[in-house]
Amino acid sequence: MTQDELFAKIQAQFPKIEKAANPVKDYLTIRLPSKGDLLSVSLWLKNNGFDYLDMLTGTDYLGPVDMKGYIRQQNFNVFLPDGATPEIESAANPAYAYKPVIDLLWSFVSIREKARVIVKLELPRDAASVPSLAGLFKAADWQERETFDLLGVTYEGHPNLTKILTPDFLQGHPLRKDYAHVKDRFDE
Amino acid sequence: MILEKLPGITGRLPGGELVLTTADYLIDLGRRQSMWPMTFGLACCAIEMMASYASRLDFDRMGVIPRASPRQADVMIVAGTVCKKMADPILEIYHQMPEPRFVISMGSCANCGGPYYDSYSVVKGVDRIVPVDVYIAGCPPRPEALQYAIVKLQEKIRRMSLAKGLATPQQEKGSRDVNA
Repeated sequence: MTQDELFAKIQAQFPKIEKAANPVKDYLTIRLPSKGDLLSVSLWLKNNGFDYLDMLTGTDYLGPVDMKGYIRQQNFNVFLPDGATPEIESAANPAYAYKPVIDLLWSFVSIREKARVIVKLELPRDAASVPSLAGLFKAADWQERETFDLLGVTYEGHPNLTKILTPDFLQGHPLRKDYAHVKDRFDE
Repeated sequence: MILEKLPGITGRLPGGELVLTTADYLIDLGRRQSMWPMTFGLACCAIEMMASYASRLDFDRMGVIPRASPRQADVMIVAGTVCKKMADPILEIYHQMPEPRFVISMGSCANCGGPYYDSYSVVKGVDRIVPVDVYIAGCPPRPEALQYAIVKLQEKIRRMSLAKGLATPQQEKGSRDVNA
């Protein structure tokens, strides 16, 4: 089955789905029109050979990163004179279209067909909430917790949506572009 | 030992089996020639640490045998990045080790945070949570550097004395209170 045949098959079932503008590598990348389609599309994919959830993740597309997220000291190396240490500023890239969305990504694999479908979905940053796939795929459990931990995406219906990587005292979601670091007992 | 320094005295002792020495020398000898490290690797520095233990570089010849339990360990080799989440287990392991205990900070990450000095999740140097006796530079340091650190630590232990209490070299230097 080629990518075009596969895409035609998906589109016959879900006419509103279109190909994503920027595909992941050379895999078939589709974009969901809304978050309500996620469960039906993944259930259809699971029943049609794509029964292996490779991974899921997300990206924050808000502007350049906030330097408040870094623990930068004025002069880190005490042996150097003041101002000798390099200072890195975050600058906006004009070639880049920043927008206040979180782009979520799921990767479904069919081991029998040796094929992979990347499913993308854009969510507004303020209301980043999406149905959980943990009921369909056990693999989604920890990865959804990780995405929740680092990006602050809420997965509705997840059995145990708690932090998985960062320590309990860390406040905020570090991979969000506007993350500001709150000093804890290990920082000076 | 004193046997070589005073052949005139020891030569006349019955059987020549008596050895005169000081308690400090004997205790420090035992301490420095059998330093058993608590083995745990946090990152890629641990690979170099494992290479040190293996037969090509042969840590055993210096009396360094890895122990899996902190109760049997004398020295803790912090090999790798110390995350904030890992900081509390490291403290717990450190306090489970019997006195006198020593710490070797291996690699840039354990020394000062290394490439992660700006990160939200990394402790900027293991010396912020436990007192460190020897720092090794490198990213990662070669196994020879780790063995040189053990030699340096042996030199420090040689200077310890009972008269000053069961102090570690750290306390002798007055830099940090180990018992705190």
